[in-house]
Amino acid sequence: MTEYVIRRLLYGLLVVFLVTVFVFLALRLIPGDVVRLQLADAPGVTEEQVDRLAAELGLNQPLFTQLGTFLADAVRGDFGQSFQDGEQVTTLIGERLPITLQLGAMAVLFGVLAGIPLGVLSAVRRNSWLDQSLRLVSVAGISIPNFWLGLLMVTYLALLFTWSPPLVYQGPTEDLSSNLVHLALPALALGTSTMASIARMLRSSLLEVLHSNFIRTVRAKGASELRVIGKHAMRNSVVPVFSILGLQVGHILGGTVILESIFGIPGMGMLIFESVQMRDYPVVLGCVVVYGAVFVLINLIVDVCYGVIDPRIRYART
Amino acid sequence: MWPNAEHEQTVPLLRVADLRVEFDTARGTVEAVNDIGFEVSAEQTVAIVGESGSGKSVTALAVLQLLDGGRIANGQIVWDGQDLSAVDKSRMRGIRGEDIAMIFQDPMTSLDPLYSIGDQIVEAIRLHRKISKTEARDRAVELLGQVGIPDARTRLRAYPHELSGGQRQRVMIAIALACAPRLLIADEPTTALDVTIEAQVLELIRDLQRQYQMALVLVTHDMGVVAEMADWVVVCYAGQVVEQGPAGKLLTDPQHPYTEALLTAIPTPETDKSQPLGAIGGAVPALHEMPPGCRFQPRCRHAWQDCTQPPPVVRLDGGRSSRCWLRAPAPTESRRAEPEQELA
Repeated sequence: MTEYVIRRLLYGLLVVFLVTVFVFLALRLIPGDVVRLQLADAPGVTEEQVDRLAAELGLNQPLFTQLGTFLADAVRGDFGQSFQDGEQVTTLIGERLPITLQLGAMAVLFGVLAGIPLGVLSAVRRNSWLDQSLRLVSVAGISIPNFWLGLLMVTYLALLFTWSPPLVYQGPTEDLSSNLVHLALPALALGTSTMASIARMLRSSLLEVLHSNFIRTVRAKGASELRVIGKHAMRNSVVPVFSILGLQVGHILGGTVILESIFGIPGMGMLIFESVQMRDYPVVLGCVVVYGAVFVLINLIVDVCYGVIDPRIRYART
Repeated sequence: MWPNAEHEQTVPLLRVADLRVEFDTARGTVEAVNDIGFEVSAEQTVAIVGESGSGKSVTALAVLQLLDGGRIANGQIVWDGQDLSAVDKSRMRGIRGEDIAMIFQDPMTSLDPLYSIGDQIVEAIRLHRKISKTEARDRAVELLGQVGIPDARTRLRAYPHELSGGQRQRVMIAIALACAPRLLIADEPTTALDVTIEAQVLELIRDLQRQYQMALVLVTHDMGVVAEMADWVVVCYAGQVVEQGPAGKLLTDPQHPYTEALLTAIPTPETDKSQPLGAIGGAVPALHEMPPGCRFQPRCRHAWQDCTQPPPVVRLDGGRSSRCWLRAPAPTESRRAEPEQELA
């Protein structure tokens, strides 16, 4: 098992490396020049000034030299400074990451806590009106983009209930209730598709398992339906749900970029949004590497969970 | 092995009468079992035989109400004086595993792959017995020993995928015996196993039946197994009992053409090897296209004009019965006039 985890971690590192290189190159393909963006407002900028700033930011070097320098610094934990204000990228991320992790965790929590009961309910009451309406809700939940949901929430809550989320973000240690209220709506918007996917996957997975022979054996022992489903069917249905969850974490992380901006939450998402606009390459790169690492790590945890759930997978890995 | 000449005088442990089981399918409701009735006395072995599709497994599952998607549309299943088709779910759960236990056809998929076999045996015990986990584990070790799994205490921790098919069926038997039931229903327990393992498992079931003083309902399509194990034989065809009687008499002197055909399909050392084996031509009719009259008539060597009418169940000596016009004593003219349209 340890060997398996180490091997997976190495693969993960490779993935993060490739992501870094890809994003580094892709960023330079975006039209617009950081130097001209920064100097845009100043009247009478000379070519000399432009060259000097480019040299200051290291942008006059060949592209692959820049990449090499960035990678060499990155492995030592130095992601450079922001082009904007010269702040260390690691410091910026250190401030913003906890906020985004909290938002992501709340979204996942909502998705799981709502998705599992809905999935069980529609499997147990298969083809009832309840199942049909849950199917509708799920398909809608999977299809609706989370940023649109977020916009709808803000708009309609303001219109119908003249209520809007707090404007100024407060950390959980400053004002916990304001913090939770602020994060609740974007977390709902982010977690809806997770909830819907989990509900659908769990429903079909449970239905398949409930018709299997070993479930009949459990019933033949005289077990109650609660035990049949809660102890045996659930555990046998949950592996595909976990894989869905791993993928959904990617959606949620991606969704934070726009939803944090909509709701005015100063997390990584907002940081990346602002930095892309300003072509602040080091900050964007730093953020993307962290997003990539979080995604890889969570999927590793998901994979390890398979082994905890299923002894056959554990066996195959040793 | 057990005397059953007084079959009718003993109070039956289980009595199935006029059983009809229906399934809802995309093509409408079908009857998997149309008219099945038999009795099982204490410690008796009753074999239910027939081809695939004869309704024998459905009958076995119906007794414990484990039909997946099917329902008992008619008839009675009387256990110890109580009609099981009328009891509530919690009473039924109390009977499953405690009074009547069941083992299934496919041991490879009948155990939960995610729990150790120890957990699964302990669960079977503790569902009905208020004892501690440690006591239950001791009982599980004892059970594993009884079903012939060596090194039982360490094997408790094994998962189903670490065991062979034969061992898994032994574990299934251990689970079935957990609460010392009075009736064991074995639904083709050896069909999925090697011939050598089959003999061992049947031997084991027979030994444990004696030890636990259980009655046994053995569902099988193997007439050799029937001859080996059964006291009483119920022959099913297309959802009906076509013949039943004491094993010795039924096997040597069948009173229904279907039983006769099943018996000639078994090769013996005397069978002429230059000739093809005597198989029954055709197949069991599909549930939604039952022939009118006798259901075996399209495949029957003796079929004659009367067979287009549903045959009566004719009572014969020694509690035997046969659903065949050939055994009907009365002249056929009067009977043909009767409007029997139920199967049309």
